[in-house]
Amino acid sequence: MKVEMKVDYYPGDTGEFIKVDEEKCSGCGDCAKFCMRNVWVKDGDIYRPKNLKDCAECGACWNICDLDAVIFGDPKGGTGIRFEYG
Amino acid sequence: MSNNEYDILVIGAGCAGPAAAKKAAELGLKVLVFEKSRVPGEKNVSGTCLNMAALIDPDLQYLMKGPVEREIYEMTTYMVTKERTSMMKETPAEGIILLSVRRDVFDAWHTEEAKKAGAEIKLSTTIVDIIEKDGRVTGVVTDSGEKYYGKVIIDAAGVNSIIGRKAGLIPKRKGDSMILYTILNVWLGEDVVNERFGNSIYYFLAPGCQHKTWPWIFPKKDVVTIGTGGYMDDDLFKGEIKSVNDYMQNLIDLPMIKEKLEGGRVEAWGLHLEYDEAIEKRTKDGLILTGEAGGFVIPFLGEGMPEAFFTGIYAAEAAAKAIKENNFSAEFLEEHFMGRFNENVFLQSFRYIAEMNKKSILSMPDEEIAAMMQNVVIGGGFISNTIHTQWMKGADEDDISLVQEAKDFYELIQPYRQVGSESVEIYKKMRAEK
Repeated sequence: MKVEMKVDYYPGDTGEFIKVDEEKCSGCGDCAKFCMRNVWVKDGDIYRPKNLKDCAECGACWNICDLDAVIFGDPKGGTGIRFEYG
Repeated sequence: MSNNEYDILVIGAGCAGPAAAKKAAELGLKVLVFEKSRVPGEKNVSGTCLNMAALIDPDLQYLMKGPVEREIYEMTTYMVTKERTSMMKETPAEGIILLSVRRDVFDAWHTEEAKKAGAEIKLSTTIVDIIEKDGRVTGVVTDSGEKYYGKVIIDAAGVNSIIGRKAGLIPKRKGDSMILYTILNVWLGEDVVNERFGNSIYYFLAPGCQHKTWPWIFPKKDVVTIGTGGYMDDDLFKGEIKSVNDYMQNLIDLPMIKEKLEGGRVEAWGLHLEYDEAIEKRTKDGLILTGEAGGFVIPFLGEGMPEAFFTGIYAAEAAAKAIKENNFSAEFLEEHFMGRFNENVFLQSFRYIAEMNKKSILSMPDEEIAAMMQNVVIGGGFISNTIHTQWMKGADEDDISLVQEAKDFYELIQPYRQVGSESVEIYKKMRAEK
């Protein structure tokens, strides 16, 4: 059996609930390293949350960033990831 | 009180939120609960087994009426090394040790209970900001820009709560204070789960399958939940391990697990952060942090849900007192909130066990952890290890106070060790009332 990242998403626009603070980002890549869903992608000298639609909303990127460059919120009500079973 | 004014605002309908809202409504208060998901529980990931030692507390007995997937009677621990596999089965003489639940069903039921008690529920609503006046938190702002006001705000919004962060109480965490773990729900069908997993939960320790934590398998009705991960330090990902999914893959590839999962299919995947240190301050003027938002979780022992239920209830009681005495200061709330917390035998003893075991584990290299875990497995689990370690340290260092501490703890833990026939009676009574 292979590990499959099988998750559902509610329909609807989540809004830009994770952003990068371009001034603060040093491009170290810790956000991408600790992201299980490949949300963070290198763009020039910094990283951006380009695949936000795949986010599992865990908050690892926010917690790991020493430079406070990750602006982390929650998706709009009733949107974003939906876990089954818990 | 106008339409957007309440006695209590509760943010989050996971474990702590509905417990707080139900209690507050029963105390006659006007309560509103906000939940960001469409169905309570659908944004929650956790181990999903409720500890009977906590549920027999009169405050929590009503939870036994909730939707249960499976009653758990046994705990099986596997320690896998290159040389051998050791297995320990712990079966209390009588009684149910855990209740296995699904969060998307259980949290929804619990929220409905809060509603029946009189609480108002607002689903699909994310809180984006707090409102403060003269240093006191007086309200919240929703994602559609609506403002709501409460005499006391109870934050039950989980590990990365926006409210707690905006209030300056929740810090960033990583390293030895944060665990990242992933779960896999594998569908096997009820008959196969009965046959291969029965009414036991399973813990494992095997090379490459975890980082300073231990994986588990908890059976539900027709699926089993498998979890693993590790502390978010520099060694979490190294060598072949690029993500926590790699620990999971190594785990389900262990021959004994592979065999048990044969014919199954991955039904759902989940990911969660849990932090492992109590945060410094759980209250601010007008605000109480409960459950994971307040650091009330013991990931080391897989305990979080009871802590959330208890702290939700205690927060509601503290809020009711604050309203009665018209004192909303952080100190007043802290005194009444933590006063109940500090009297709770379950919470105190489990914190102590976790602290003692975690201290030894984090100070050891991997090989020594394996050796210690073997002792834990052979020696009767973490409770025994806690008592034994303190006792031996006292004997080694000729320090009678450590021996006394071990003896005191042994006395304290007796109610937990005796969870047995009494819990079955309570459980039967609650299920009959359901």
